[in-house]
Order: sequence, then C-alpha cells, then structure tokens
Amino acid sequence: MKHQIRLNVNGADYDLLVEPRKTLLDVIRNDLGLIGTKKGCNTGECGACTVIMDGKAVNACLVLAVQVKEKKIMTIEGLAESEKLHPLQEAFIHHGAIQCGYCTPGMIMSAKALLDKKPNPEEGEIKEAIAGNLCRCTGYLSIIEAIKSAAKTERSV
Amino acid sequence: MEERKFVVIGQEFPRVDARVKATGEGRFVSDIQLPGMLYGKVLRSPYPHAKILNIDISEAERLPGVKTVATAKDSSRKKFCLFPHLANNLILQDERVRYVGDQVAAVAAVDEDIAEEALGLIKVDYEELPAVFDPEEAMKPGAPKIHREENNVAVHILRNFGDVERGFSESDVIVEGKFKSPAVAHCCMEPRGCVASFDYYGKLTVWSTTQTPHVLRQELATILEIPFNKVRVMRAHVGGGFGARMGIDPIDAIASILSMKSRKPVRVVNTREEEFISSRIRYPMAIELKSGAKKNGKLVVREAKVITDNGAYNNQASTITGNACSKLSQLYAVPNIKFEGFVVYTNNVYGGAFRGYGNPQITLAIETQMDELAERLGMDPAEIRLINANQPNTLTASGCEITSCGLSECIHEVVDHSGWKTKKGKMGKGRGIGMAVMIHGGSGVKAYWGDNCNFSSAIVKMNNDGTADLFSGSGEIGQGSDTVLAQIAAEELGVLFEDINIVSGDTDITPACCGAWGSRQTFTAGNAVKYAAADAKRQLLQVAANLLEARIEDLEAKNRKIYVKGSPERAVSIVQAASTSYTHLGTPIIGKGINDDPWSYMPDPKTGYGNVTSAYAFAAQVAEVEVDTETGLVKVIKLTCAHDLGRTINPLLARGQVVGGVLSTGLGYALTENLIRENGKVLNRNFLDYKILTALDVCDVECIFVESNDPNGPFGAKGVGEPAMIPSAVAISNAIYDAIGVRVSELPITPEKILKALREKKG
Repeated sequence: MKHQIRLNVNGADYDLLVEPRKTLLDVIRNDLGLIGTKKGCNTGECGACTVIMDGKAVNACLVLAVQVKEKKIMTIEGLAESEKLHPLQEAFIHHGAIQCGYCTPGMIMSAKALLDKKPNPEEGEIKEAIAGNLCRCTGYLSIIEAIKSAAKTERSV
Repeated sequence: MEERKFVVIGQEFPRVDARVKATGEGRFVSDIQLPGMLYGKVLRSPYPHAKILNIDISEAERLPGVKTVATAKDSSRKKFCLFPHLANNLILQDERVRYVGDQVAAVAAVDEDIAEEALGLIKVDYEELPAVFDPEEAMKPGAPKIHREENNVAVHILRNFGDVERGFSESDVIVEGKFKSPAVAHCCMEPRGCVASFDYYGKLTVWSTTQTPHVLRQELATILEIPFNKVRVMRAHVGGGFGARMGIDPIDAIASILSMKSRKPVRVVNTREEEFISSRIRYPMAIELKSGAKKNGKLVVREAKVITDNGAYNNQASTITGNACSKLSQLYAVPNIKFEGFVVYTNNVYGGAFRGYGNPQITLAIETQMDELAERLGMDPAEIRLINANQPNTLTASGCEITSCGLSECIHEVVDHSGWKTKKGKMGKGRGIGMAVMIHGGSGVKAYWGDNCNFSSAIVKMNNDGTADLFSGSGEIGQGSDTVLAQIAAEELGVLFEDINIVSGDTDITPACCGAWGSRQTFTAGNAVKYAAADAKRQLLQVAANLLEARIEDLEAKNRKIYVKGSPERAVSIVQAASTSYTHLGTPIIGKGINDDPWSYMPDPKTGYGNVTSAYAFAAQVAEVEVDTETGLVKVIKLTCAHDLGRTINPLLARGQVVGGVLSTGLGYALTENLIRENGKVLNRNFLDYKILTALDVCDVECIFVESNDPNGPFGAKGVGEPAMIPSAVAISNAIYDAIGVRVSELPITPEKILKALREKKG
C-alpha cells in the first residue's frame, strides 16, 4: 500500500504517494527527478547519495522516504542560487577536486553539513566529515583543500 | 620542437565539465531516463563451473510487468574479445558457465523490482563441473579443462634478447625472488551501466559507461551483426574507468538485445555487488625474477617467469603479460633478457586493463631487486638506478626506441625533494624511506588487433564569431581529456580556451578514435586535435592573407588575432577571418586531423621485438613510512613523486592524475586491496569488506613535473594517467625494508604479513 507523504526538499514541498519500502534516494531521483544525488552502492558504504536532513549529512539510500515526514532535506541542487554557485562548489571547481564527478555531490553535501556546524574546521575534522564519502579519482587531498578554502571564503562573507 | 611562449598550454584551467558536475546537473549513464524505458537485470551463474542443461524462462515471462526475457538463443552467439583470434566469451552463455557471476539470462521489466523478481523465476538446470582457481594448479595434468587447451594455457609468451646464460656467468652479483600481485577491483564510483534504445529506423543508440566509445560501437556492431552506422554510442559523463571500461562489457550488449527484443529503451546498471563479482579486475600475477649485475652496479641480465591468472575468458591478459615483459629491458639498459609468460585459465572472473597494465606487478619485482642489488653492492639505491637508467635516444634490447627521457632527472628531483641523503638508513626505529622508478607508454601502444589499434582523429569547425567546435572521438572518463584537448586546440588555433567547445565520444558526430587507455589521450588524441586545429588555422590564414595582402607564411595566429610576424599592427581578428570565410572562401572552415601514430609499430609476433610505443613516460617516487612492529601497521607519511610528462598542458589536472593515481589506486594496491575468493566466490563484495582508502587514510604527496619535451608529442606532451600509480607500492615496500629490515613480496602488505615476516626474521 502506498503512503501519502509530504517531502520538503530544497525549500519546496512535494506531496507524494510512495511505497513504504522506497528509499529517500529513489524518491529523490525517480519521483522528484533530482538526479544530482548519486547511487553508488545502495547500502550506505560509499556516500555518493549524501543529502542533508535537518542539518545532518545522511546517506539517502539508508533512509526510507516515509521516515522523512516533517524533515527538511537539502540536495546538491539546492546549493547554487541560480547563477551563483555555493563557495564549496566554486572551491571544488578551482582546486581540481572534481574528476569523474560521481562522488562530488555527496562529498559537497557532507562538507556543507560540516561547515554549517563548524565554520572553521581543523583538517582532521574535515577528513572525519568526508570519511564516509569514497572517491576513487582524486586521492582526497584536493577535496580537503577545497573545503578549507570554501570555509575561508564563507567566513569572509 | 619549437620553444615558444604559450597562451593556453600550461594554464590551470578547471575542467570544462566541472560546473555541471559540481551542481549535480551532469548526467551520468545511470541518470538517463527515456520515455517508456524498461529496467534490465542479469541472471548470473551461482557456480564457478557448470554445464547449462536447460533454461526455462516461461514463468518469468508470465510475471506481470516483465516485457522480455533473453537467453543465448536471442543473441548471435558471436564470440568476442579485443583480440578476435582469442575470442571465447559470449554475451549470454549457452552451454557452460565458467565463473561465479557469468551471465546466463536477462530480463527487462517496467521497474527494477519486477526485473529482480523475474530473475528468481528463471529456472536453470546446471550440472556442476570440477573447477580450478589457482593458475598453477590449472596447469597441472588432470586439472579441470576450462576451454579446449589441455593445460589451460591460453597464451604462452617466450622472449629472448641477448644471451641470458652468458649474462649470468658474467654477473658479479645475482638476486632472485618470487612476487605476487592480487586480484584488485577497479571500484569506479559509478557502477557499470548501459542504456540502449533500438528504434524503427533500425538504429541502436547506446549510452554506456565506456572509456572507448568508438571501440564499443565497433564491438556492438560486430556482435549484433549490424553496420557501424546503425549504432550510435552517445556521450554521457562516466563515473570512472581506470581500464575496466576499455572495450565492451557484456551488459552493453545485453541492454542492446533487450531493447531490440522489446522495442523499448532499456537501462541495465550493475549493483555494487555485481561490480565486485563480475566486473574486470587487475590480473593477478605470480612472478619469478632473477637479476644479475656487475660490481660497478651495471645490470647485465634479467630472467623472468610470469604466470597470469587469465580467469574464465580471454580479454587482455596476453598483452598485459607482454607489457610486463617489456619493462624488463625498457626501464634500465639491460642487454640480456629472457621472459616466459603463461596466461592460464581459471574459474575466476576474467580480468582487464587496470591503470598500469601489468606494469605495477612487474615493477614490484624489478624495483625490489634494484634495492637488493644496491645493498649487496654497498651502493645507494638512487645511485644504482642512475647508473642503469635509460637515456634519451636509446634503442633497447627489445627494440624500443626511447626518444624523450627524463628518468635521471626524475631521480635527482625526488632525491632532492625528499631529503633522501639525510634520511636513507638514518630515520631511526620503525621509520624508513624507499624509492622506486618506472617507465610506461605515454602514448598508447601498438599491440592489439593490428597497426590501426592506436589512432585518433579530430575535426575543428570554425564558427563565424571566431569560436570553434572541436569533435574528438576520445573518451572523457574523469581524467580530464576534454579539457586538455580543448587547450591543445585553442593554442594551435590561436584562440582562447573558452573559444573551444569540445564534443567528444558521440560516435555519430565525432571521427573515430581508439579511446582512453594506455595513457594515450594527451599524446595520441592530442596530436590529432593539434593537426585538425592546424588545418583549420591554415584556412583562416588564407582568408587573412587576402585581407591583409600578405603572404600566408608570414602570418601568425595568437590571442584571437592573425598578424604579420614582426609587425603586429598589420592584423585582422580571428572573428573577422572566420566570418569572412563564409562569404569569401567558398567553403566552410573545417580542419581535419588524424594521428595514426607513425612512430610505433606492431612487434614481431615471434620475437616480440619492436617499438610498440611512440613516447615513453618516466617517474621516480620516494615513500616515507612508519611501521608499528607491535601491530604490523604501516603508515605512509609522505610520497614524493617526480613525473616526466613531456610538457604539462594543465598543471591542475596533471597534479590530479598524479596525486589521485598515487593515493587512490597506488596506496590501496600496496596496503589494503585484495579480492578475497573462496571456491570462486568473492567474499569481500562490498566497500565495508573491500578496503579502498578513505580521506582518513591518505598522506601528503609532493608532485614535481619534469618536462622532457617529447619530439613527437603535442607541444612536447606525453601521458601521465597510469604512471602515477605504477611505482608507489614498491617504493612503499622498499621504505618498509629500510624501516624494519623485512620485505613482503606478496601484495597487499597487510599487518599480518609484516608480523609474519618479522617473526621469520627473528627465527
């Protein structure tokens, strides 16, 4: 039996009928068409599907959509304000923190959840925050540098 | 090679696709959703070796929502392999399965859950057969026969250069050893996938996670028995390749067959588990190596025996084993070489290309023995390498013509930057430093189906506002080729980077290219792009020559201007020339270029002698480690890496290749990665159990570029993609020896193996 739920994603409300076993990831991608959130393993191990739920970075593949009532979700599509990209996005671009780009949205969302809580993180805290986001291309160093640089930009705004 | 001031080359432009990837707008294969699209799933063998007696699909077909079920009966049963004479794999198996994960049938349904459910309704009667998983066992008499060869040897390679016996008799010091390299998974973050759409034009359109779009088109057309122009491989972002996506994967053809049968678009995407059990892997190798040198450190001789676990079907093990052989005489000047390679079938998953292509495996052996020889001779490991390092313009014992070569410079750089002289042997308890160097093709290789296996072509079309569209058949898989190729085109054409719009990979509109493998895109595709841009520029200059009343050979294009050399005030803008061409030239400006890699050729099939690569890349790396002798845990503190990439087209992207190669694939290869298999079943089939490194596990990397300015490279450039990871593992291994005096010659170097080696040393 399908459940009627209301999802708040990137500031907009969506009324949806979903099967109870559908994950937040599948609903975001298939029902809302927000394909920026990626499916890398579907078992909570790679972090490609990371979204922010009420301020916390979560693996959307481990959350059932019906659990998400009353919660605010932010996906990668919610970061840029039209033409103006978020400082994290700019920093990822200019630090070479993107190669194949499949981990990028999840990586950026984990970083955003960190900076929202901790605008001036230590390097160790950055590493901890993205430890659940696997990347096979970059070796992470450029990502860590990008997050440091974005933190600096955000503090100066 | 001209030395000149570059406008676009050498600049740190961010990737051309960085913005769409940073915003989530970029479409990967698994994001593609077409109207009426079905979802495909593959039924895979649960047995490592079995006869298929019967497949009953009737119940699956009756499940509501199932649109089609395919078995071998629905395919042409054309056997495929990049090397047609070795082809023995099928898209869907008809009589026998040979590894756990082998594809038997496939379903397309209206959603993934129904497709999955339908797989459970397909009844396959198997008769289990004896299986073999260890290649050395498989070679023994009486071992289960996997294909027609009695001893399961698919390919036997024998190479002899110089006189090995004399070499050993003339050697003052000889070292011998055995080395093992495990099965390693590529772990591309995007699982392999394919969307296929067959329509009533009779045209098959395919989006695939491929790194070789034109090769995929060729293979699909061959397997499906339709002409090339009825297959279009489209462009989508590809979430990593690293070699795994070179050539066809069965699911490319399975999605196509399902679409042809159902007349609907079909998407098939591997689960992560399927990636671990059925995707390509790094070929495991068992290596025996014996090396001899004179008292003065000069290498005299090398003899190697390599047994490669081919897995269940032929793919690329023959050339990967051959590539391992070629390093014996390429890296250092060694006059006498003997190599024997066995590529042996087992009931394991079959391997494929993986960053380094057999080179990391053999480099582990070669570079361990360089340290052992140095120790026996009382020499500094850096010194013995410098004594033997190949030099520019060298003909090697196996016929390789090395042109540009910055190997010695790379060694000097890492010695200086790592503090080698103050640290080697002096770092104190549990700490050590180690070095390794490498050679690798930096321009692809001629070793596949024939002399036309390493070409690339490109088209540059001028627009009348002075911008240009660049069409390249290359494969952008995250490594950055689109950006680098656009830079090459802009520099040659005399426009700015942002003036180039690159379209790559779409086989309907781009001219053919062999794709991304062999670190070849910068050199091989780059040259094609440069020639195409030069051709377009010639046409622009012709227009400008008329406008300026000057001779074409007196003109130069730079910074969006065409001017008379020496009098820059006599100029027209490229916009003016481009727009005038439309009314005055009588033909649109379209530049064409092809690079068929004329500097290399297929090796002699009997002896293996030949120059298979046009440009060779070199590197030296130094690792600093700390080993906990209580727990056996190795911590890598720093890697200092010097790479000869000819010319740095884009330092930001080149650093990305080196740092990423070293940390993402090199460090894990050294310390953690190993597909653990029991009776053909992969036990660690997820990211919790198969350990690729996280942000918490990586170390500092210092990256130095040596620009040897290759005579044939575009603006002097050659490849850097694979070289990054090749020497890392053995540099770490040599550092561990410096730290605690033991060696682990079987990768990965786990704490258990360190502790065992320490116990054995104590006795």
